[in-house]
Amino acid sequence: MQKILIVEDDEKLREEMKIFFNNNGYEAEALKKFNNTIQDIISANSDLVLLDINLPGVDGEYVCKEVRKKSNVPIIIVTSRDNEIDELLSINYGADHYITKPFNIQILLAKIGSLLRRSNMENTQYTINAREFIINLSNSTILKDNKEIELTKNEIKILKYLNEKRNKIVSRGEIMDYLWESESFIDDNTLTVNITRLRNKLEKLNLKDLLETKRGQGYILK
Amino acid sequence: MVVNMKFSSFLKNKVIQISLFLFSIITIEIFLLAYPYGKFIRIYIPLIILSSYFIAIFIEYLIKRKYYKYIYTLLEGLKEKYLITEIIKNPNFIEGKILNEIMEQVNKSMIENVNKYKYLQEDYKEYIEMWIHEIKIPIATSKMIIENNKNEITKSIDEELDKVENYIEQALYYARSSTVEKDYYIKKCNIKDIVNEVIRKNKAILIGKKIAIKMHNLNIMVNTDSKWIIFILNQIILNSIKYRKTNEKNEIEIYASKGKENIILYIKDNGIGIKQGEIVRVFEKGFTGTNGRILNKKSTGIGLYLCRKLCDKLGVAIELESIQNEGTEVRLIFPNSSYTSCI
Repeated sequence: MQKILIVEDDEKLREEMKIFFNNNGYEAEALKKFNNTIQDIISANSDLVLLDINLPGVDGEYVCKEVRKKSNVPIIIVTSRDNEIDELLSINYGADHYITKPFNIQILLAKIGSLLRRSNMENTQYTINAREFIINLSNSTILKDNKEIELTKNEIKILKYLNEKRNKIVSRGEIMDYLWESESFIDDNTLTVNITRLRNKLEKLNLKDLLETKRGQGYILK
Repeated sequence: MVVNMKFSSFLKNKVIQISLFLFSIITIEIFLLAYPYGKFIRIYIPLIILSSYFIAIFIEYLIKRKYYKYIYTLLEGLKEKYLITEIIKNPNFIEGKILNEIMEQVNKSMIENVNKYKYLQEDYKEYIEMWIHEIKIPIATSKMIIENNKNEITKSIDEELDKVENYIEQALYYARSSTVEKDYYIKKCNIKDIVNEVIRKNKAILIGKKIAIKMHNLNIMVNTDSKWIIFILNQIILNSIKYRKTNEKNEIEIYASKGKENIILYIKDNGIGIKQGEIVRVFEKGFTGTNGRILNKKSTGIGLYLCRKLCDKLGVAIELESIQNEGTEVRLIFPNSSYTSCI
């Protein structure tokens, strides 16, 4: 499991973030004292650091710069200062990303995901094994018994998401939420069309029964 | 107002001096008449005194008129009139020197006074920025707690928190908009990223209310402060959401076009629109109009006012067109000058 180090002085926020990341497939750890922050960050040996820029007693930007001198760990700066200049400065100090409070937690999660993927390229998954078939993200196809079918951008995103939530009912709202997060701002009708097309394509691979509609609730990939 | 220095009014001012002078000339003339001097002397002496006196007065008049005319011309050419003391030349007559000295002193005290308020305002703005910075932490924490305890109740609290967040943003940008200092930062950014960010920000309500988003032609670079534009665009989108038609398919269309001189971003909705006579007033501070009052939309009349103010500071033009019951179109017009493109 990949480890995230939370450097945040607000205790309540820190604890809630810890719970959130632990619930979302990461191992989260938090610094509680800030008298030796730089050394603590380095020796925590985490896969990613979430760094609050306003720490008591130390300048977060200085911390960022010093950590960067000794380590390549991805750093996301979290701050409540919201202007273009701070953002540019933090990138200059070697931070990989910059996110402002109150943050959209889904965006933060997506940023963490993409940073971690980039930092260990060997773990990058271009193909997802979904039991009966294989989803190939690099050329947007699904494969079963040497039979390959091309999916559109939205279709593959929907299938990938349903697969992540396998055997759970996923509401239309959740799917749309996920698609909008990745900047496919589709409307209700388009979603229906996409699901129908996806089902037709699955049918060609004899996987018709896999995607089921739960009336009034959503969809489920069995 | 320009006071014209006429010769007659100049003379009027010297009425005591002139009458005393005339009185003494008459006295001299009486003395001269009492003694047996020649005709020549009787006429010559008073005449020479009289004419030299009036020549002297006329020269004085010319010098003064020239100087005050010079001040008025300077004033006319200055946009900030109080700067006149910086460029004015000292005259060679005493009243002018006194006047200059007085102007300088008055100016100095005025500038000190203005500066006092400038610092007060700057101070207040700093406090607001700090306060906003502080209040974002409990909001962030509340949002995290909601995220970790998702249910119908917390979802509803989350929606309220989004409103709080927007009000806070408005306060922040209000403070930013009313300072003289430039606190934005122009850099090259993609319109598409800005629009995506705003749409994502309002994802929950847009999906929840089934409002369709149509975007095209947005992959264009502009030179601007993306944070400011995100705020402005967010106010516009929030209006489109707020003033949508109920029981109808809502749609917001966002697209851009690149011309020779400018880049225009269009935000078009099919909402309830604005009454013809009220369109010109929508950018006024505190203007809520029929939509704000009758439809109980809790309009504050701040959103568009701030948009216009911030746009002015950024050098972006904002235009609004609307047909009642059909929809509203807002245009943001970014200049495409060679000056901004080389920053």
